[in-house]
Amino acid sequence: MPTTQELIAISPEIILALWALSVMFLDLLIAQSRKSILAYWSLLGLLLAGGAEFSLWGREEILFQGAFVQDNLSLFLDLVLLLATGLSLLMAKGYIKDLEMEHGEYYTLTLFATLGGMLMAGAGDLLIVFLGLEVLSLSLYVLSGFRRTEPMAQEASLKYFLLGAFASGFLLYGIALVFGSTGTTLLGGIAVAITEGGLLGDPLLLLGLGLLGVGLSFKVALVPFHMWTPDVYEGAPTPVAGYMSVVAKAAGFAAALRIFLSAFLQLAGDWTLLLSLLALLTMSGGNIIALAQSNMKRLLAYSSIAHAGYILLGVIALNSWGLSSVLFYLAAYGFMNLGAFAVIVALRDGEREYLALNDYAGLGSRHPLLALSMAIFMLSLAGVPPTAGFLAKFYIFGAAVQAGYGWLAILAVLNSVLAAFYYLRVIVIMYMREPAGQVAKMTHSPALALAIFLAVIGTVQLGLFPAAVVELAQASLFPFLGS
Amino acid sequence: MPPFENLPTDLVLQGIFLLVAGLIVVAAVAVVTLRNIFHSALALILCFSAVAGLYILLEAPFVAAVQVLIYVGAISVLILFAVMLTERVMDPKMGARNEQWWLGLLLTAIAATGLGAIVGFAPWPLSKAPIINDQITALGKEFLTTYVLPFEVASLLLLMALLGAIIIAREKEGG
Repeated sequence: MPTTQELIAISPEIILALWALSVMFLDLLIAQSRKSILAYWSLLGLLLAGGAEFSLWGREEILFQGAFVQDNLSLFLDLVLLLATGLSLLMAKGYIKDLEMEHGEYYTLTLFATLGGMLMAGAGDLLIVFLGLEVLSLSLYVLSGFRRTEPMAQEASLKYFLLGAFASGFLLYGIALVFGSTGTTLLGGIAVAITEGGLLGDPLLLLGLGLLGVGLSFKVALVPFHMWTPDVYEGAPTPVAGYMSVVAKAAGFAAALRIFLSAFLQLAGDWTLLLSLLALLTMSGGNIIALAQSNMKRLLAYSSIAHAGYILLGVIALNSWGLSSVLFYLAAYGFMNLGAFAVIVALRDGEREYLALNDYAGLGSRHPLLALSMAIFMLSLAGVPPTAGFLAKFYIFGAAVQAGYGWLAILAVLNSVLAAFYYLRVIVIMYMREPAGQVAKMTHSPALALAIFLAVIGTVQLGLFPAAVVELAQASLFPFLGS
Repeated sequence: MPPFENLPTDLVLQGIFLLVAGLIVVAAVAVVTLRNIFHSALALILCFSAVAGLYILLEAPFVAAVQVLIYVGAISVLILFAVMLTERVMDPKMGARNEQWWLGLLLTAIAATGLGAIVGFAPWPLSKAPIINDQITALGKEFLTTYVLPFEVASLLLLMALLGAIIIAREKEGG
């Protein structure tokens, strides 16, 4: 039986699970015209879970015989996930109403997906990694096909489901082989078994680790496992695309940190080499293909692939600077990327979305505030000071240099220069090009405005006054790296 | 006196294992090569049942029972229904392969050789724990003590799968 202490330590996850269930029940009682109450109710749940996270800060709780770890690392990542979920719910409220898919299940599934991500962030056992990942992915399969009648949404959902199931197969096979070699699925236990059993060169273990890596690479969309990303982002409802670009990535990296550092640290020589190759492919692949995109959602899909490549640098660096900059990057990326998606959500006329890059022509004069926000997000994604994106890149490249990966950092900087081209092109189109033909309209909604406002604040705040979050990120590593 | 009385048990077990393993391989190959997809589904059922036999050989009767109930029972029936409810899928002219079959075969061969080599040469550690007689009770206890978190998360996962299926299969928007 779980003890009271264990239940308290895992209370954020319990709150979120109960909240998701409560949304399901409330959905039955609320009339269709007043469904937006559920959005506020879900936000309240996120706030409560976030509050519980804060009250747990500074502890290191190992729960359920090691299956779950609630330390500062998981709390920091959880807060990023909760924040991203909150922003995406604010974006979704008006959107799903206008596009006639306002069902309570949207909120239930979003909350469950976040729960899955939080479980991955605190996983101490490969079983929990797998289950958390499935909870997250299963919700996303359904959410990306939430506009069932749209062929694009069906394609997105089916593609994501098939490739996701394939990736889960890889992951599960990897887990099985690692278990076969070490006799345990506990991350701590695997590290002990590697030392005690002298398993450093064990082919079974290496193959298992490789398959685990492939499975996770699919989920965070590293090149060459990224093929699904643009199609899924394009077909999924825009708030869902924004949500998964941040939450699925953050959760995937959280699980990768746990697995690679708690269980396979002794094999670091093997996996850092492979990961640096993947990072290089991912950065370059994402950025080069992004250059040719004319659809805003596809552009951001490839840009998100490239960003995963940058984040990987911090994991490869394998020092405390690198890991805290991974956390900082995820937080910054959450604000700027969700902000950009929020602007896409705003630029629509009821049901009709304006997704082409050319639809942004003349936005600077027609909707100056919206254009300004988009410009800030684009500058931040490009990594121009004084935005969050600049500092995030600065920290992560610095960590790579410190760890002796100077060549990788140089290639990453070159990549950022390349990427600046397509981010800045959006700004040029907004401010310098006159609209041709139909003019894109904007939908006003207080919740959406709040989401964009918060994302702008976050992006600028992390760029100008990063100290608080950097300290928080560094403090998150303490018990994790110390153990 | 039964005819096989004098045979050593090990040899009998080996024989049964080879029989079951051979059956699994033959059935699995049949699943991907048979022209009629309905026949493929039936071969899959055979494959699942043979795997259950493997579990019995490993002295895990509960897992074998679960395998029969879930894979042979539920999943196979589901597949058969899906086959029967899909138009044209039973048409033998449909063909189960496309022009990229050789690429798939090549990749499969490479993966199979690699996996076979690694699995064959790996020193598989054997668990030293004694075999438990009352497996179901022990499993139940473990699920509610050591593995209570995975157990609860798995139940949430099933609930979500149910919810997702309902959303996707719902009659009409707003219904």
